Amino acid sequence: MRAKGPDDTVQACSDIPLKPYYTAEDIPSAHAARANQAPGEAPYHRGFHPSGYRSKPWRIFQLSGFGKPEDENERIKFLLKNGETGFIMEHDRNTADHCYNVDHPEVLARREDVGLTGAVMQSVRDTAICLDGLPMDTSFGHAGGAVVQHAPFALAAYWTVAKQRGYDLERLAGTGQSDFNLTYLGCITKQQIPTDAGLRFNADIIEFCTERLPRWVPVSIAGYNGADTGLTPDQELGSLFANAVEYLDEIKKRGRIPLDVAARGCGGVSFRASIKIFEEACKMRAARLMWSDLLKERYGITDERVANLRIHCVTAGSKMAYQQPMNNLVRGALMAVSAVLGGVQSLGVSGYDEALSIPSEHAHQMSVRIQQILMEETGLTDVTDPLGGSYYVETLTAQLVEKAWTFFEEILSRGGYLACLDSGWLHAKAEENQHKEFMQTESGEANIVGVTMAHDDSSPFEIDGFIGSDDAFDVALERLAEVKRSRHEKGAADALKRLEQVCRSDDNIMPVMMDCLEAEATLGEVGDVYREVFGDWRTPIQS
Amino acid sequence: MKPKRILMAKTGLDGHWRGPTIVARALRDAGFEVIMIGMATTAEIVAAAVDEDVDLVGLNIGGHIDVALRAVDAVQSAAPEMPIFAGGTIPPHACKQLEAKGLEVFPPGSMLADIVDSANRLTGLSEAP
Repeated sequence: MRAKGPDDTVQACSDIPLKPYYTAEDIPSAHAARANQAPGEAPYHRGFHPSGYRSKPWRIFQLSGFGKPEDENERIKFLLKNGETGFIMEHDRNTADHCYNVDHPEVLARREDVGLTGAVMQSVRDTAICLDGLPMDTSFGHAGGAVVQHAPFALAAYWTVAKQRGYDLERLAGTGQSDFNLTYLGCITKQQIPTDAGLRFNADIIEFCTERLPRWVPVSIAGYNGADTGLTPDQELGSLFANAVEYLDEIKKRGRIPLDVAARGCGGVSFRASIKIFEEACKMRAARLMWSDLLKERYGITDERVANLRIHCVTAGSKMAYQQPMNNLVRGALMAVSAVLGGVQSLGVSGYDEALSIPSEHAHQMSVRIQQILMEETGLTDVTDPLGGSYYVETLTAQLVEKAWTFFEEILSRGGYLACLDSGWLHAKAEENQHKEFMQTESGEANIVGVTMAHDDSSPFEIDGFIGSDDAFDVALERLAEVKRSRHEKGAADALKRLEQVCRSDDNIMPVMMDCLEAEATLGEVGDVYREVFGDWRTPIQS
Repeated sequence: MKPKRILMAKTGLDGHWRGPTIVARALRDAGFEVIMIGMATTAEIVAAAVDEDVDLVGLNIGGHIDVALRAVDAVQSAAPEMPIFAGGTIPPHACKQLEAKGLEVFPPGSMLADIVDSANRLTGLSEAP
């Protein structure tokens, strides 16, 4: 929404009224007292390091994958060749998110969908194909496993391949994400384990990584997935830290690993960078400040290596329009600017064809080029926290922090983040916001260029959707049969039996999951154990 | 008058719910009864369309167009008069395939008012323009 006259009210997305201009008097005094802190000093809102991007450019990190594992491998190599500086393995939604093999009836009924949104990886052999020739030892790798119930399998598959290649797990850097927002709030699966079992998985991963993979980011809470479902920036912040508290309180209760080490593990998060440039930049600043304050006040942690939040950012997919898709190159660039102004350490820019399909090779290449132009040509990297000290930016940062803590407290008063997923309270918040945003567009209060104005009926679509490969299902079915035919059957059966025993106990799930992957147990078989032991989450909304 | 009934289903195993939820709300606000069955197979969609005695079927499509086309064929074969409309992340080539089967199609960026108009028209509440 934009003001069309001097007396119009303008609101930030976080329901904060915006003034026509700001002065020093607007900055809340408590925040003003901290605003002059240098970047790299607590509470870090001014940035992660005094020299910022001069000493450490952000990581160019694009979501990628489709088809067969070799298709995904080829795309990742293409992105690395074009300048990506980490890599992300995307898994097929149908199989991975549900822990189904391709021969599950729900998948068979939709066989053409298989591979459309990520590669099918049902055994460690598939993961090895996807990782063929990729720099696992020197790059930050995202193993997939963004979905909570899929994470233990995806991580164990990645680490097993690393071991087979002779890499030391202690030196491996990466993440698997394992994010609740993704499938319990944003993109709800047909079947998944209940939230309490998911919390146990994530705490197990955090403990396992603390002991075995100190450089790995064990879980990475994705505010993105809440925001692109409809949470406003203040709610994205508040819910993210309510989620973090859920993990840390669980780790503290278990008492098996030092809390500060666990907190460092939880301190690599992701946010959405949307189209309101200043509010989004302020959100990244607010996030660092909130994490530092949260750790200090709730857990007594002040160690800089822990309290200095690391942020990955992805530009908002839902802001990419279907109509006149080339306009999305501009949107992608501007959203990326908001992330860079906010001082994030890692960035993915959504493809210009986002509203039509997964990215084509060209769309992917352009997402990398946008980042390279910002990094090399614009001067955005010259000075750390270039917005720091702006009356407006400091005021909005402080207001976002305040509103986000209010939302955080409200979640905690309702039993915590997971309870608010179980009850559907967060879904209702997101839905209300979506509806409001939609109605503003519908009524003409807010415009989208090429959609509600500046129509151009004379030019047809410049692009069509990217389809990917057409043999992902058939190849996956063959490979599943081949694994089951050629593996040591008793070894796999024994490992799966032990997995079931561990699932029913309080032991950490990850050592036995490593055994399962080494024994070539398949994704669907692991999922069957989960379904037997944990049952199904009761989805609080109907869609 | 008894409200017209609309079945809404997702053809894929992709659980994005923003789109269908906003559309369902707009349809309910316009006086329709909306039955949402979420992610459903072709067989489940056909069974629900018949059992629920609906006046219109709405498909939310997020995956390969062949999966959606199979559902369309099955509904049209079981209930030849049943109108169907569709929405979702549907690229231009796939919109054309659905339109060729007589569907009204609403890709991203469609206005709710147009979707409600379509529902009124397809259920016989209003005349075709």
